[in-house]
Amino acid sequence: MSAEQRLTWRRRLFAFVVASVGAAAATAISFAMTVYEAAHPKPVPIAAPGQPIDTGRWTITFRDARTGSLPPTGIKPSTPKKLVMVEFDLDNRSASTSNVFSRLFAIEPPIANLPPPAFYLARDKSVAGGLQPDMPERMIAVWEWPAAVPVPEQLRLKVATQIHKQRDNLYGAPGWFDREPAAFVTLAVGTSP
Amino acid sequence: MSAFLKGLGGVALAAAVLYGMQRTTPGYGDITSPRPVTGKLGHRLEGRAFAIDIAKVQLARRVITKGASRDSTFTTSGVWVVVEGTAEALNESLTLLSAEWLGPNGVRYAASQRLSSLPGMLPGQRLEPGLPTPVLMAFEIPESQVAGGTLLIARSAWAPLAEQARIEMAGVKPVDIHSSLVVARAQGRVPWALSAQ
Repeated sequence: MSAEQRLTWRRRLFAFVVASVGAAAATAISFAMTVYEAAHPKPVPIAAPGQPIDTGRWTITFRDARTGSLPPTGIKPSTPKKLVMVEFDLDNRSASTSNVFSRLFAIEPPIANLPPPAFYLARDKSVAGGLQPDMPERMIAVWEWPAAVPVPEQLRLKVATQIHKQRDNLYGAPGWFDREPAAFVTLAVGTSP
Repeated sequence: MSAFLKGLGGVALAAAVLYGMQRTTPGYGDITSPRPVTGKLGHRLEGRAFAIDIAKVQLARRVITKGASRDSTFTTSGVWVVVEGTAEALNESLTLLSAEWLGPNGVRYAASQRLSSLPGMLPGQRLEPGLPTPVLMAFEIPESQVAGGTLLIARSAWAPLAEQARIEMAGVKPVDIHSSLVVARAQGRVPWALSAQ
């Protein structure tokens, strides 16, 4: 092996080592940051009732919570039911009509055997369809509360957020994706007929 | 030295080309977006699978529906847009499940589900080839989105590369808004009767 050849080999090795160290450092820093962030989650803000909460896709303002036996339709169900209702204002901030309310908020901590709520449009006193963009509406979420579980005096709700991605990581298609919760809201549960 | 500059130039050029390609690559949503067929209000628009002719557009603050047992009043924070027309399948029987109002600001308002039980609503009408069928659509939109709107009609809202009729709503202006529009059931070819109040 000539001296010149040995020099190019040495250069190549040096470049390889520099690149490896750089890549290893980047990986280590990124991993450490992920671990640190997971260990120190940002505190979720507490929102007051009546305060608008920006969830990315929606703006939601909780009004009140109550328990009763009469659903928002005003028609008494044939078998008596224990209902828990949460009234809120909802504004669709996306660019198209949406009826994806189901993951908007959840009771925290979760209650066993609680079926998902039904959503009613207060204006029509009937089950809500899609909400039009930029046209806020008063809505009522109604849970059929299990008979064995007492209705709490206070309802703690975790409000979720979603962000819009122009290109998702799998197909490169646009869509809405869940992110960390936006806020916790505590509502006093009143009574209604 | 000149070889080094040439190399640098090559790298810069490659970076510029790659950046340009990255910025202009159409996304999955663009690649699979519906194929538009454009038309105008009052003219029959013929696509491959279906033909549609929008005859009349009326605006109202409230829609009152006459039911068998009781009347219902539907209010809105914006304005109701009630669209009447005729649709026809061209090759095979089909239903047009998706109707949207595209406002001038680019926001799409789907046909209101609050009035979906009315007779003759577009998603409920089965269209047969050679039999033009009267269809009704109702939209709930902010007043600012009335002028300059476009009606988008397709077999489904999600089907990739499907045909989409885009009908320019020229001449629809938020000047003559009825205070209320009464929709009643009717016997005959057109299953509804609209009257302004």
